[in-house]
This record gives sequence, structure tokens and C-alpha cells, in this order.
Amino acid sequence: MKLLVINAGSSSLKYQLYDMTDESVLAKGLVERIGMDSSILTHKPTGKEEVTEVSEILEHTTAIRKVLEKLTDKEHGVLESVEEIQAVGHRVVHGGEAFKGSALVTSEVKAEIRRLFDLAPLHNPPAILGINAAEKNMPGVPQVVAFDTAFHQTMEEKVYLYPIPKVLYKKHRVRRYGAHGTSHQYVSKVAADYLNRPIEDLKIITCHIGNGASMTAVQGGVSTDTSMGLTPLEGLMMGTRSGDLDPAVVTFVMNKEELSLSEANSMLNKHSGLLAISGSSSDMRDITDGMAEGDPNSTLAFEMYEYRLRKYIGSYAAAMNGVDVIVFTAGVGENSAIVREKVCENLTYLGVEIDPELNKVRSGDPRRISTPNSKVEVLVIPTNEELMIARDTYRIVQENQ
Amino acid sequence: MNFKKIGVIGGGTMGQGIAEMLAAKGLDVLLVEETTDKLNHAYSMIETSLDKQLEKWAITKAEKKLILSKIHKVTHFAELGTCDMVIETISEDLDAKRQVFKQLDQVCPSNIILASNTSTLSLTEIAGSTKYPERVIGMHFIYPVAKINLVEIIRGLKTSEATFEETKHFVEEVVDKHGIMVYESPGFVTSRIICLMINEALHVLGEGVASAEDIDDAMRIGYQFQYGPLEMADRFGLDSILAALERMFREFGELKYRPSFVLKKMVRAGSLGVKTGEGFFKYNKDGDRV
Repeated sequence: MKLLVINAGSSSLKYQLYDMTDESVLAKGLVERIGMDSSILTHKPTGKEEVTEVSEILEHTTAIRKVLEKLTDKEHGVLESVEEIQAVGHRVVHGGEAFKGSALVTSEVKAEIRRLFDLAPLHNPPAILGINAAEKNMPGVPQVVAFDTAFHQTMEEKVYLYPIPKVLYKKHRVRRYGAHGTSHQYVSKVAADYLNRPIEDLKIITCHIGNGASMTAVQGGVSTDTSMGLTPLEGLMMGTRSGDLDPAVVTFVMNKEELSLSEANSMLNKHSGLLAISGSSSDMRDITDGMAEGDPNSTLAFEMYEYRLRKYIGSYAAAMNGVDVIVFTAGVGENSAIVREKVCENLTYLGVEIDPELNKVRSGDPRRISTPNSKVEVLVIPTNEELMIARDTYRIVQENQ
Repeated sequence: MNFKKIGVIGGGTMGQGIAEMLAAKGLDVLLVEETTDKLNHAYSMIETSLDKQLEKWAITKAEKKLILSKIHKVTHFAELGTCDMVIETISEDLDAKRQVFKQLDQVCPSNIILASNTSTLSLTEIAGSTKYPERVIGMHFIYPVAKINLVEIIRGLKTSEATFEETKHFVEEVVDKHGIMVYESPGFVTSRIICLMINEALHVLGEGVASAEDIDDAMRIGYQFQYGPLEMADRFGLDSILAALERMFREFGELKYRPSFVLKKMVRAGSLGVKTGEGFFKYNKDGDRV
């Protein structure tokens, strides 16, 4: 079965075409600047030259039509006809409490995703645009939605509730939802496979650290706690997001600086984190470069980032009463040897011991960086959310046939 | 109509605010002024406003750059022919506005909405200078445009239902503000009520009932206004308040609209408020109270 995985943003659309007989990627690409007269489509068929096309793409239906044209193009295409695509999988950011896993798209499912616009005003609306656009271009082809929050729906009430008036949960569903679920689920599964141990027996801490960053405690294969909350602002220090702070800081600063709601929101989401402390960059590569050159602000930013990451690992080890595996993934987790080194350096009380040489290895494959003596397996596993969505789509479509 | 490019005529306080707000919503803006100097001044004021927001963490450097890149400087009306809507924001002078609409009527295709940001003038009279009065409508934004989410949508006598519906869609869906529908009447809703309150505050001041500071505190703290009536007057411009009151006084013929003598004296003395650095209070060049 060939299927298309789509990740629709408000003005962009990423896609990957899979052949599920061997899970190979036939082509992938990206449409940027949707809604403008100079939209850019970048199409990369596996084993062939990448092509770029600039044209006017005003909305998502046209974007998908253009993608399908490229996929069936005589020169750059990988398909004879569009009919070969037998299913479409979509990434959706927020599944609220309604979706505990991926789901076949029906009118009820779409209505539910719409109801969740309130909780994810920036991210859920484009997902609906993507689903409608795929329906128009490929009528009758089954579609599946995979949610960033679904994996975390296994959290217990004592974990997901905030200690604030319960009426806020009843009225507005204020609670912890988490994010990056597809990635946490994928890397925890790959970790168990890599170690050749049943996931049911493992206590895994997965660190998805990229531009956004979150950590999940995975026990017995299910998410038992995760660092992001109602929104992706909570938890770890990130590129431009603050992560955890005293909630009173917000009202205090709003009062002192006469900030509006949107100014306070923007301060915490776009002007905080590594960017705020370093004063120069939100990118970990710049921060570690700055640290190597002896820049005190970059050094402080790095130290805070590492310290907060390490504290969370400690708290999740406590939450699960132990940890067997620590997984690093996403941009920073996969590529920054120094972040991994510094975090693990002070986890010796857990019995963590990493091999400096193995830690330095750069590779696109899952790998172990801990020593044979280490009581905790430390792994680096490149994440692959698209593949996870493709697998869910494949499974759900087959079950429904 | 798919609104992508909007013309804004006039680079004064309201023109700057509207242009900046539209650009921040991702629309392309053609900002029109009579001379390059005035245009450059308006553009630099928008830049200053964005810098202030940057200081308040409301936007990032990249967002500031993106917003500025959406604002294009234009000195000729002919270039407005490709706009999906035009909003006029020049000073409250009926003849000048009629002149602008007459020109716009010739440049813009007949399905393009021509809106005026007038706060007091008659839309019917403005539309009278055009061949297609059905596409002329009032769209009154409130200062500061970026922060106040209210727009008065004013129908002239000949404004068509389609024009009104499109404008309402533009206000609520495209620029994401709350629109209220108003039938033509001097001062509409907002200016009529607020100018009367300011005028009454001036009577209170003139009669020596309380000091300027205390009058403002009374309304600001007592009734949760962001600014007291006198600072509000300073921010709107005392000349604009005087013009609005005089117009309402003339139109309604009722004494309650007669401008207070304090207001007339201040305008004659050239103390117009924030824009001259001094009105009832003193201001620096960024418009902050000193």
C-alpha cells in the first residue's frame, strides 16, 4: 500500500509518500508561503534530483493538487497515477481528551477537531484545511489523523490535573495534555527494539529536545507523565520559551511593565529561553559555539538549559521509582554531544555512565552511548514522526477494510 | 473578495496605526501621502511604534522586519488600482475627503470597497462625490488601532448590503476585530458619547471644580478608563475634538454639544496635546507622559 503523510501548517504543508510494503519513502517535500503569489514547492523524489517550483498557491487545496501533480509527473514523479495512493495520514497537534490514539477521519472526527480550536488556535485550524484539501483532491481515499497529544492520554488524573480550582477543568478542560506524543512513542518503541527487551518491562525517560523541548516518563510502554502542559510552554527551558516558572511572575511582570495578555504571552513564548539568557540566539549550536569562545551569557544559557533538563530527569526517575533507559532525540538531542555529556555527567547517582567516544559518534541510526557498566542505558534515537503516522494510518485503514 | 492588498490614504496618527495593524495581520499595505517627506515621516513613526512593541516583547525582530516589509510607500493614487480595498484616513475635512473619493472612484474598479475612517462626517456626503456610492462605507477605527478591537461600520444612505457584508467580513474575519453596525448620524456612537464626556470634563475644569489630574484620576480609577478624559483629549488631539464638537453642535443644534471655552483657548494657543508635546499634560516625543 502506498500512502501520503501530510503535516499542514497555516502557510506550509510538508508531505512524505510511503510504500508500506517495506516502509520506504518514495518522495518527500514541502510547500511554503501558501496564500502568497510566490509559493515555493520543494519536491524530493528518492534517488532523483530535488526540484523547486515557485508559483501562486493561495490555499491548501491547490497546494495538495500541486503536490499530486509532482508525484505523478513524468520526469520528477514516482507514481503512474494518483489512484495508487490508497490512504492519507495527517498530523494534528491537539486531540484533547477525545482522542487516545490515531483515528479514521469521519465527519464526527472532523467536528471534534474543530471543537478543539479553542485549545490549539494556531495549530488545529490548518489541520482541518489539510484534511479538507486532501478530501477534495482524492475523494473516497481513507484518511487518518494522528495527534501529538494522544500518546499522553494514558496519564492518570493525579498527573494531568493542576492543583487549581476544579471548576476550571470542568468548564475549560484546563489540564496537562503534553505534546510531541508521536515522537515520544516512536523513540520509546525503537529503544525497546534496539535493546531487544519487552517495552512492558522498561522505565524509559524520553527527551525530545529540539527548538521546542519536552520530556516523557514512559513506563510499560505508556506515557505516565510529560513536561509540556495545557500548552507547549510548560516544562523544559527551550529556544525561545521559558518553560517552568513561578506563575506569579506572569501577573507580577504584567503589572509592573503594564503588559497586555498578548504581550505577556509573546514574552514567554518568543522572547524567553536560550534567546533571553544568551541575548543572542535561540539555537543550541550558537550557544555551544559561544560557550567555547568563553561568552559568559551563552555559558549561563547552556548551564541553565542543562540544569533544568537534568532536574526533570531526576523527577521522572522519582515518578517511576527508577529508570532503565534514557533516550535523547530531536535536533538538539540527536546532534549536541555536549548537551548529552553535561546532562549525564551529574546523573552518576542513578548509575549513569556514558562513553565519551560513543557519545561523539554522528549517525542517523539508533545508537547506545552508555558504557557496559552503566546501570541505565543511554540511547540516541533519531525520531521519525512521519513514519509513526504512516504506520498508524496503514494499520487503521487495514482494520477498517 | 480575497483581501490581500489594502490601500491606506493618509499617514497621520490613524493612517499609521491602521497601516501597521493591517501589515501585522499579513496584508500588503500601500500607504499614500502627498509628499515623500510626509511618507517617510509616517513610515518612521510606524518603525518607532514597532520598536516600542519590541521593547514590550509583543513582537520579535523578525516580526518587525516582516511587518515593515508589508508596508509600501506610494505617492500616486494611480498605484491604488490593484488594491482589494482602500481606507481613507486624512484629516476631518469634508471637501478634502470628497476630493480623495472622487479620485479613488476613477482609479479603483467599481467592485472595490472605498472606506473612510471618518469619526463624524456624513458618509452620504462623501459618497456623493463618486459615481458608485454603493461601494462607499465608513470604517471607524479607534486609537490605538492595534489595541482597540472595535470598529464602527457606518452605512451611508446608498451603501449597498453587499458592501456592508463584505466590510463586516473584513473587520471580523480578516483583521479580527469586533464590528458594530451604525446608521449615519453625526459622531456615530463612539465620538458622540466620548466627545460629550470630554467636553463635560472641560466644563468641570473650567469651573474650578477639580484639577486636571484629579478629574482624570476620578474617571480612570473610579470607572476603569485606560486614560482619563483630559489625557484622552490630549491623545486624540484637541483640534480634532473641537472640530468634532463644532460639527455635532451645528448638525444637532443642541447646546450640550457647544465646545467648552477652555478647549477653544487651548486650540488657539496651539496646545493640541500629545502631537505638540503639551495639552492638559506634558508629553515626550514618544508620546509618554512626563
